[in-house]
Amino acid sequence: MIIQAESPVLEIHDMTVSYDQSPVLWNIDFTLPSGQLIGILGPNGAGKSTLIKAIMGLVNPTGGYVKVFDKPLEEVRSRISYVPQRESVDWNFPASVLDVVMMGTYGKLGLFKRPGKREKEVALASLDQVGMSAFINRQISELSGGQQQRVFIARALAQDADLYLMDEPFAGVDIATEAAIFELLKKMALEGKTVVVVHHDIYSAMTYFDWMIMLNLHLVASGPKNQVVTEELLRKTYGGKLNLLSKVSELVRKQDFNPLEH
Amino acid sequence: MDNFVYFFTFQDLSILYVVIGIILLGIGSAYVGTYSFLDKKALLGDAISHAVLPGICLGFILAGEKNPVYIVTGAFISGGIATFLTSWLKKNTKLSEDAIIASILSVFFGFGIVLLTVIQKSGNPEMAGLNHFIFGNAIAILEEDLWIYGGLAVIIILSLTIFQKEFSLLVFNSDYGKAIGYPMEIIRFAFNVLMILSVVIGIQAIGVVLMAALLITPGAAARFWTDNLSKLLLLAALFAVVSGIAGTYISFVLPQMPTGPWVVVSLSFIALISFLFAPKKGTITRYFSRNQYLKKTNNEHLLKALYKNRELGQRMLTIENIYELYPYQKKEIKHSIEFLFKEGLILKNQNFISLTDYGIHEAKRVVRLHRLWETYLTEYMNIAPDHVHDSAEKLEHIITPELEAQLEKRLNFPQLDPHQENIPRD
Repeated sequence: MIIQAESPVLEIHDMTVSYDQSPVLWNIDFTLPSGQLIGILGPNGAGKSTLIKAIMGLVNPTGGYVKVFDKPLEEVRSRISYVPQRESVDWNFPASVLDVVMMGTYGKLGLFKRPGKREKEVALASLDQVGMSAFINRQISELSGGQQQRVFIARALAQDADLYLMDEPFAGVDIATEAAIFELLKKMALEGKTVVVVHHDIYSAMTYFDWMIMLNLHLVASGPKNQVVTEELLRKTYGGKLNLLSKVSELVRKQDFNPLEH
Repeated sequence: MDNFVYFFTFQDLSILYVVIGIILLGIGSAYVGTYSFLDKKALLGDAISHAVLPGICLGFILAGEKNPVYIVTGAFISGGIATFLTSWLKKNTKLSEDAIIASILSVFFGFGIVLLTVIQKSGNPEMAGLNHFIFGNAIAILEEDLWIYGGLAVIIILSLTIFQKEFSLLVFNSDYGKAIGYPMEIIRFAFNVLMILSVVIGIQAIGVVLMAALLITPGAAARFWTDNLSKLLLLAALFAVVSGIAGTYISFVLPQMPTGPWVVVSLSFIALISFLFAPKKGTITRYFSRNQYLKKTNNEHLLKALYKNRELGQRMLTIENIYELYPYQKKEIKHSIEFLFKEGLILKNQNFISLTDYGIHEAKRVVRLHRLWETYLTEYMNIAPDHVHDSAEKLEHIITPELEAQLEKRLNFPQLDPHQENIPRD
């Protein structure tokens, strides 16, 4: 069941993505409303992270397109903020908490210019919002998983965007921190920002999100949670991979080239 | 000594050129190398430095002499081809990166040696100094070389300084850089160019075989001392410059000595010192602080033993009694007794040991932390009272006064621990 949003912030049109020649997302097609908390749900390997990366242009789709604020991605990048998975970086990099959060201001700053006083203020304010003010000069290698996650969220806040895409921001986070981050996200949605979150736990997702995207290699459902979270659609999302789809993926993988690429 | 004064007073202008060259080279390669070390691409530097040899030889063959422009251009092109091939093979084959780098390194270097042999057989009188490119000879740097090598080094240093934010973004989180609209492919390309350039400028002074050491070792050694990127870069540059000058000086004093190996020897020495003695991360430093800690635990255990005996009504223990308590730690206990006596925590009366008032105060603190922690574990973590002793035995030495205050408050200043023993307070 796919419910379209009116005057959407994000439109994905018939998008297929493959990684190393195996298709991980088939014909994804949906629209998202603005000012809402949106959850992307699905089992491991369903293509949730890939979907976010494809929206950000970090992986190239083999078909279809993405429009944000009704414009091509490159024109509106500064209005989109991305929180990558915590494990995707080496936390032993010699940087302080403030250094990392300052990166959020680089987008507006552009090449050549160095961050100055104004950028520092923005970063400090963002750190305050996630409750990390006491850790400004801490080495990032000395942070706990939950603190690293909050640093990444602060960096996204420093960018001051309208659309936030967060890849598993609750992974490795204790319950108290999860609740605090969620309160912050709710506040952002109330201010009119759209927050899209990859999430793994269906039970907490029911309380957190307004709108759900349910994914299992293909799009199972997208719409307001009351309408799309049904027993049947949950079974379709979590009830194992579709037999036929897996077989076709296998077939594509066995070719000497990627037949989906143009 | 005369040599030393002559060298370092720069009476000879050519020595000054060489030293300036080595300083610029050291800073440039340490900067580039530190980034590639942080990017875990250290092996790539080694491959590139070996891979420039065929380019040097072809440059020489084309020019018919040791023309620095031909040689630098040749080296740059051949290093560039090697870098490109490495990433192309990685993208288009299933070979692992280390296999690709090892093959590129040996194929290019082998081809370079073949060309070098061909040149040597040709009998060209200009070929004399070509061997220097293998192990380097800084003393052979001329003024005209300095303009090229030094100029390139300045370009490297300036680019890495101006684009520090872009290059750290590349190393730390390239995907994020792309997400905020930075041209990360171009930045990666620029970084590769700088890396090849830094190898190219080192071939005359350090030589192709050992250039990788000047790239990677300074950053790796400096990493032991600091967690701040700017400081890391400066320290790495300092290490590289010091070793560079040391190597050059030895080549000057002993004219047959190649520079590269001596630069590497002094760099390795700095790296070894860092590995052993750097605060917090050095192996020996850590050994000593652990030793310090073990001594502290022994002292505190002895205080505790004396205090517990007091609780049973015995004001003193004989040294033999104490040895019996710790039969395997006689030597350590002997040290502890001496230490505690010196610090005024215990009294020694012939063979009898007893606590001073100050000693009682300290012993109470340790016993209190032990029993508080036991109480906390049983009350808040539901751990059986007979399972909490071992953990408390360790934590009593490290719980801070702040944590102690928190424990007291949380447990509401308990009188008895889970074993119904009194929790002592002053």
